Amino acid sequence: MNLWQRCIDHLQAELPPQQFNTWIRPLHAIQESSRIRLLAPNKFVLDWVNNHYIELINSFFTHLEEASNLLVVLEIGSKPRKREAGAINGLQHVQKSRAPQQTKNSQQPAETSLESNINPNFTVDTFVEGKSNQLARAAAIQIGANPGTAYNPLFIYGGVGLGKTHLLHAVGNIILSNNPSSRVVYLHSEAFVAEMVKALQNNTIENFKKRYRSVNALLIDDVQFFAGKERSQEEFFHTFNALFESQQQIILTSDRFPKEVTGLEERLKSRFGWGLTVAIEPPDLETRVAILKRKAQQLFNVDLPNEVAFFIGKRVRSNIRELEGALRRIIASARFTGRPISLDFAKEALKDLLAAHDKQVTIENIQKTVAEYFKIRVSDLLSSKRNRSIARPRQIAMSLAKELTNHSLPEIGNAFGGKDHTTVLYATRKIAALKESDTRIAEDYGNLLRTLTN
Amino acid sequence: MQQLPLGITLNPGISFSSFIPGSNAQALASLQSAVAGHENSFIFLWGGKGTGKSHLLQAACQQADALNLQAAYIPLLQAHSFSAAIFEGLEQFDLVCLDDLEQVTGLPGWEQALFNLFNSLRDNGARLLITAHCSPTALEVALPDLASRLSWGLSYRLYPLSEDETIEALLQSATDRGLKLPTETAHYLLKHCPRDMGSLLDILNRLDHASLAAQRRLTIPFVRTQLESELIAARRLHTQT
Repeated sequence: MNLWQRCIDHLQAELPPQQFNTWIRPLHAIQESSRIRLLAPNKFVLDWVNNHYIELINSFFTHLEEASNLLVVLEIGSKPRKREAGAINGLQHVQKSRAPQQTKNSQQPAETSLESNINPNFTVDTFVEGKSNQLARAAAIQIGANPGTAYNPLFIYGGVGLGKTHLLHAVGNIILSNNPSSRVVYLHSEAFVAEMVKALQNNTIENFKKRYRSVNALLIDDVQFFAGKERSQEEFFHTFNALFESQQQIILTSDRFPKEVTGLEERLKSRFGWGLTVAIEPPDLETRVAILKRKAQQLFNVDLPNEVAFFIGKRVRSNIRELEGALRRIIASARFTGRPISLDFAKEALKDLLAAHDKQVTIENIQKTVAEYFKIRVSDLLSSKRNRSIARPRQIAMSLAKELTNHSLPEIGNAFGGKDHTTVLYATRKIAALKESDTRIAEDYGNLLRTLTN
Repeated sequence: MQQLPLGITLNPGISFSSFIPGSNAQALASLQSAVAGHENSFIFLWGGKGTGKSHLLQAACQQADALNLQAAYIPLLQAHSFSAAIFEGLEQFDLVCLDDLEQVTGLPGWEQALFNLFNSLRDNGARLLITAHCSPTALEVALPDLASRLSWGLSYRLYPLSEDETIEALLQSATDRGLKLPTETAHYLLKHCPRDMGSLLDILNRLDHASLAAQRRLTIPFVRTQLESELIAARRLHTQT
């Protein structure tokens, strides 16, 4: 048994399990002839071990005859991770790291140009089309075919978990399939910031600039995370200009419309709107069902019965990640019990998840959320005021109550200051019609729906 | 004369095999399979006090170790004495276990760090196990990007053990410590003490020390006297403060 293993056994017997698991287990030991190097994942763990456990470790070795002169050195680092081939659990993995230079242990020379890092699994074919994302999908295909010339930049916005990242990679895949030598780089805005900070620290900012200004397509996810980070915005502004002028494609995503991203400089916001801006809305029921069936097939090779897909799709509406979570639970339960996936089985398997979910949405909660959203008072919603600035939010709140709770129309009417059930019925029909004709209403409704169900 | 117990307790180690599953057999199986890398690299467990959340996460670390994987366990209950910097470098690990997530939700620095860790672990194909006192959708997460990711994985609610299962777990835990706990004493404890596993194990730990110090077996009269003297000591402390 090696020396560190003996020390570990000793510490495990001596320390409470939680302390052992938190501070000792993550250490990776490298034994050299006269010393042991203990690698801690970060400075925090290193300091903690130094302050609390190093004496215990040293005293163990001092009392060990064959190790009494052994030197214990603490360093920051970790065991190089062996990558597992393929995808565990069907999650798609980016084949190369998001940005090769970002990897902590990578020793690449800083001037290396960026390579494409597009996830081959996120294609247009695996993107389920519906009314909510038709336009964004069409734009993605067109830009993929004519990068840098069709629309530049493409700005995709929408709530979390609706497929923005998927679409980014899908464009990247089209560009690469037409021109495999293109350098198409995907990056989360946080990673851009982190890398820039590192470049500033290491005095390699010029290389950083060069690298990002020499790609053929730059796909930046979640630009709202640039908010408040002025130096990063400044750098990104220049990168944007350089790529734009040399007609390289830029694609950005955000959780909201460019002008509405708070904490971004005006010059960036205005540039983000230069090309084409498209929204991804939350998927409607039919699209959710199609997504579930597709995912069941792709991730688990399971043919999900329609009635089960409709059941999940009706109950889980907020985003696609949550749909996938519910699907995973049903599949895991089916495999564990060996039972076929029927509607009753699905209801049983999702009982806990859905109960936790349902508790959230009450009529009071809806009224509070709607009032806050439109900056009016809950008492206004319950009043009989008829001016539009009050009546419209009231109608929206009633529609949401009908959609999200199991209360009857008379109960809903009652909860809105004793209105008649026909008022509720009128409100739900009115809002359904307005959602088709007025994009502002559709957007407000979608935002509220997401807030309430997320 | 009272014998002083040694400062060392035989630490039984926490493993999957010492976990009494009760109604949580499926969660247990999924965790084991996740650590082994078969499927579902992200699992979220939620449940009340004493439902085995910490046990399962630490058992996962133990199993990972046996598979020569690098694992980290972070008890966020102690987050007040940490900072989010504790996540740095963990993206290089094979398994990261975060216990009591509700302790850091709503705190911007932690949520941002967690969001970044989540993305990196996912990109690297590493496993992530999280526990909290409520389901992912009921957690009050401020960052929507993080909230939606927490609902992405396989999730289980953990159920407390039934009375019989609690007795079984208590006896098992005593045996693991090399301690002889008569079944009637276990029943006595269940009747007179808080019934969640965490509290019961704490009591067992104290009784372990007391029985060693007094050289007495864990009979009901001995246990009763011990619990009463603990109560008196606690009251005295209370009136003093």
